[in-house]
Amino acid sequence: MKKTCIFQDTEKRGNTTDLLEVALRMYGQGQFESHAVLLEDSLDGLLGSFHHIIRVAQGIVNGFDPRQICDVLENLHRKNCFDSILIPATSLGQMIALRLAKRLRTGLVAGVTDIKRDKEQIVIIRPACSGKILEGFHHTGKGPVMMSIRPNAFAHTPVEPLQTVVSEYTKPVRSPSAVKRLHVKENQQTCEIQDSEILVSGGGGVKDSFPELYRLADALNGTVAASRKLVDQGIAPRSIQVGQSGKTVSPRLYMALGIHGSTQHMAGLRHVETIISINTAANAPICSLSDIVVQGDALKFIDMLMDKILIYRSEKYI
Amino acid sequence: MKIICVVKFVPDMDSMVCGAGNNTLTGKTVRIILNPDDVCALAFALKVKASDPDCFVEVVSMGPPSVRPHMEDLLRLGVDRGTLICDPMFDGSDSFVISEVMGRYIATRPFDCLLTGTHSWEGGIAHVPVQLAEILGLNQMMGIFGIAPHGFDSTRAVFDVEDEKRVATYEMAMPCVLSLTRESGYKLPYPKLTDMRRDVSDELVIITNKDLCFSDTQVGSAGSLTQVVKTYPKTYEEKDRHIVKNDEEGISFVFNFLKQKGFL
Repeated sequence: MKKTCIFQDTEKRGNTTDLLEVALRMYGQGQFESHAVLLEDSLDGLLGSFHHIIRVAQGIVNGFDPRQICDVLENLHRKNCFDSILIPATSLGQMIALRLAKRLRTGLVAGVTDIKRDKEQIVIIRPACSGKILEGFHHTGKGPVMMSIRPNAFAHTPVEPLQTVVSEYTKPVRSPSAVKRLHVKENQQTCEIQDSEILVSGGGGVKDSFPELYRLADALNGTVAASRKLVDQGIAPRSIQVGQSGKTVSPRLYMALGIHGSTQHMAGLRHVETIISINTAANAPICSLSDIVVQGDALKFIDMLMDKILIYRSEKYI
Repeated sequence: MKIICVVKFVPDMDSMVCGAGNNTLTGKTVRIILNPDDVCALAFALKVKASDPDCFVEVVSMGPPSVRPHMEDLLRLGVDRGTLICDPMFDGSDSFVISEVMGRYIATRPFDCLLTGTHSWEGGIAHVPVQLAEILGLNQMMGIFGIAPHGFDSTRAVFDVEDEKRVATYEMAMPCVLSLTRESGYKLPYPKLTDMRRDVSDELVIITNKDLCFSDTQVGSAGSLTQVVKTYPKTYEEKDRHIVKNDEEGISFVFNFLKQKGFL
């Protein structure tokens, strides 16, 4: 029986169970024992999904200090000899994963998006070259298989509830924390682009009219996203960037305004039901992957579509 | 104050194509640039030096001999010492090995702070800075988009970090590793006219494995703990698309489609 350790997704706790899908693809149903490590008390949504849940007792670690969290995971590995350690590729998760891999002297594949089996060997897959290609890795060396998993890359469907054993980790950590958080300001973005069913996304073609996208997004009850080009130019915040260096999204509708559709950008689209692209160049890469291509200026498109939506809404509510 | 900037020279992604199947990068004229996030780290270090002439800035990079002229260009910007770690034995090393090699050198150098970039050239998180911090027993933070000018000295650094949901200000005790993002906007100065043709060859130190003493099983592909076994072209399923014009007829088509699919 293989043992896998899954560190909590500290940004979206509910996504923690998705990492079980990675273990399932590596070892098969019923062939592994799962150990979830949580930094918080609440077990909501996690009980019954894991064989073991290990809660780190309050005050043991500074929750934004990767060194201290590594101490906990290292100790747990020394005690349990995990075959694999899976960590969500969030900002904090990546710092933890890289440190822990170095500490355990094992290889790390970062930003994993798929797992395949080639005969008896596990092939760990991640995008490379800005998403232009996929690389398949074999784990070599003696340490546990370590991966950081790209958020939203895997979805786990539970088969039947497990009898979860809950325990508490209370051993003091060895690294004193030299990190203090002085202020925190939550991002203004009311809805995460990863949670939205409708995304109105802008690229280089709308750099002069990007704020107009919010009108359309509001009318569709959707969320605004952006390509890397707008983020690099400081027009859009990184928190709404779609792509290899941004977020992976799976909306029902992706409306791409002025987006060229580089492989870097397309790497962030996964299981999108419908793509509508609005572009002056009908041969832009994203157009060949779209259900509808509107050939023309994005701002004019927003104005004309908004007129129709407003008339429709006013008639509907008379 | 002593600052070491760990930087990497990378292919300019806009000038290259990845060839699937043989793990190679192709491009007629692949331009080499300083990794954009590393530019900001070095720019910040030079800004500190501009306001404190006693500040000593060293740039450390690992790469082939062809990187030498690029390192010399950095010395012409005012960097005090450039170090290029360069040996054919290190070819094929993964980030695990690279951080071991750089860590062995940096451990011999005096410094108060290591500055570097957050992201690698292909958009992912740079592995080496985090692993260097672990080797050197230091704290590290990535995603830094601003460092308080009056909160940066040999005892502490105060800086702003943006992650998935928040912007936070942290204070970290020195020595530590700070990884900046290009959103920080720090820009490199232009070289002075008199420096543009200055011979800086004496200021560039070349470190080889003779200095670092790794065995051949510890470095290169032999020392790497992950192995790329296959590359796949990323393929997308082309759709039976419907092209419309941006006119009344086209917009009506989109509107009716949205209505039919329940998006309105």
